[in-house]
Amino acid sequence: MLASAPGRPAPSRRFSGRLGFLGLTLIYLLLIAACLGSLAREDELSLGRNPIANLMKTAGEFARPSFLDAWFGNPHLEYRSDDGTVLRTENRQMVERDYLAGLGRATWTTIRIATLGSLLGALLALPLAVLTARNLNAPRAMAWLAKGILDVARSIHTLVFGLVLVGIVGLGPTAGILAIGLHSMGTYGKLFAEAIESLDMAAIDAVRSVGAGPGPVFFNAVWPSVLPQFVSSHLYVWEFNIRDSTVLGLIGAGGLGLLITEATALFQWGRLATVLIVVIALVVSFDALSRRIRTALA
Amino acid sequence: MSIAPCISLQSVLCAADGRALLEVGQLTVRHGERIAVVGHNGAGKSTLLRLLSGFMPMTHGQVEVLGRQLGQPLPAAQLRALRRELGQVLQGLHLVARLSALDNVLIGSLGRVTGWRSWTRCFPAPEIARAEQALHAVGLLPRAGMRADRLSGGERQKVAIARLLMQGPRLILADEPTAALDPAAAAEVCLLLRKAAATATLITVVHNPSLLPLLADRVIGLRQGRIAFDLPIAAVDDEKLVNLYRPDTGEESQHWQIAPGDISETLS
Repeated sequence: MLASAPGRPAPSRRFSGRLGFLGLTLIYLLLIAACLGSLAREDELSLGRNPIANLMKTAGEFARPSFLDAWFGNPHLEYRSDDGTVLRTENRQMVERDYLAGLGRATWTTIRIATLGSLLGALLALPLAVLTARNLNAPRAMAWLAKGILDVARSIHTLVFGLVLVGIVGLGPTAGILAIGLHSMGTYGKLFAEAIESLDMAAIDAVRSVGAGPGPVFFNAVWPSVLPQFVSSHLYVWEFNIRDSTVLGLIGAGGLGLLITEATALFQWGRLATVLIVVIALVVSFDALSRRIRTALA
Repeated sequence: MSIAPCISLQSVLCAADGRALLEVGQLTVRHGERIAVVGHNGAGKSTLLRLLSGFMPMTHGQVEVLGRQLGQPLPAAQLRALRRELGQVLQGLHLVARLSALDNVLIGSLGRVTGWRSWTRCFPAPEIARAEQALHAVGLLPRAGMRADRLSGGERQKVAIARLLMQGPRLILADEPTAALDPAAAAEVCLLLRKAAATATLITVVHNPSLLPLLADRVIGLRQGRIAFDLPIAAVDDEKLVNLYRPDTGEESQHWQIAPGDISETLS
């Protein structure tokens, strides 16, 4: 007989300690093995017939983004039938310039959707965050309700909201704005509630101790402590939403996503490269800007 | 100045969870007195200050502060009126961390400034001038625009004192204002505190005996929630202080008595 096993650890400490971590690692490795093994057995791990050649072809098209044609394109591109008759000639430069103008409009639409959607989400989340912040002691039932709404909003993807909303308000930016607002309301609510929960009580005591009433206490102690975190969360989610709204075009909400859908549907990787360059530039520049603002406020 | 004393306590008992925190037969403080309160941890020093500022309800007795009876919990408006005349320097460096030193000093004027100006922090020019003067008095005018959480511990306590100057209270209650400060900064803060209390009554809780002469002309020793002595500073000697801080050997509590040898043994 083996020596009797040591007493079972309490549930809360089951995963603590070195042995617990080892156990967790083993479980994780088992999960990975199960995923890989089952996929391999179903023969779903193939990379296609000639991945290298496909990769080179796609990469080659990506390496020549379509916007270059606006300056270097062939002004008299001739489309011929098989017997050599010229069907039509096309000025590539004009075509791509038109495309760039459309791209500019789509970018502006994406920015509008993200900006208004973020603002809507923040405004919707503010009262819910006040209700869920534990240190403000809102009535229990209200707090649970608000937390429930925020959890539901956070767990439903923007795209799902968008698909439902397109059916309600029709195609166009309105559906995108509402979808972004509803989903990011959940994220905002969580971040705002955390900001309120980490409130600096010493500051409140300081203002109270000179005999100030509730109004001055709020505006001199609470507001300055909470505002920077609110602004910083707003910038963070806003930036996230700019990225998110580029996908919303897929469901007909307009903007850059629509161009991405078009380009992928027609296998125009050059145009997709152009759109993606704009998306990347947009996200990177907004990130730089918001980071600068956040450090200034910290 | 009125004839009535600044503070008077009559057979006051403060109890919490059935334990007496403070029991004072009689205590009178005249206007303009400088008082230091000394005693071991848990002797009732902070309880006394909280009682005087209306934060702590008492079990029975009579307390009168600046002509107000603090018998039962005061209505909010009266409590605010009392706090306007009462300057507090608290242990934990109570400043609004995200506001500048000058804005923190201006908070001292919130008893006078009301309405939209107190909400938007648009203080009238004379108040701003006063605040700058107050910062100048504690030697921090060059730091006026710096945020409170960027200041050192000593500088923050000086900002709190400048806030007192701004508030212009008749009674100042300071709870260990020099805790966590180095000796030089502690002495400086004490001198400034005394200057700030030039026209007010000052009650300070303090542990460091060397700071007593800077802060007080009268020393009240608290032990086990009772007044052990109440003497002019000249009559307080080392023996009295040592006795005050001596651990109990009686029936009320058991402290570990550590001889210097024990400590060095533990460390080696």
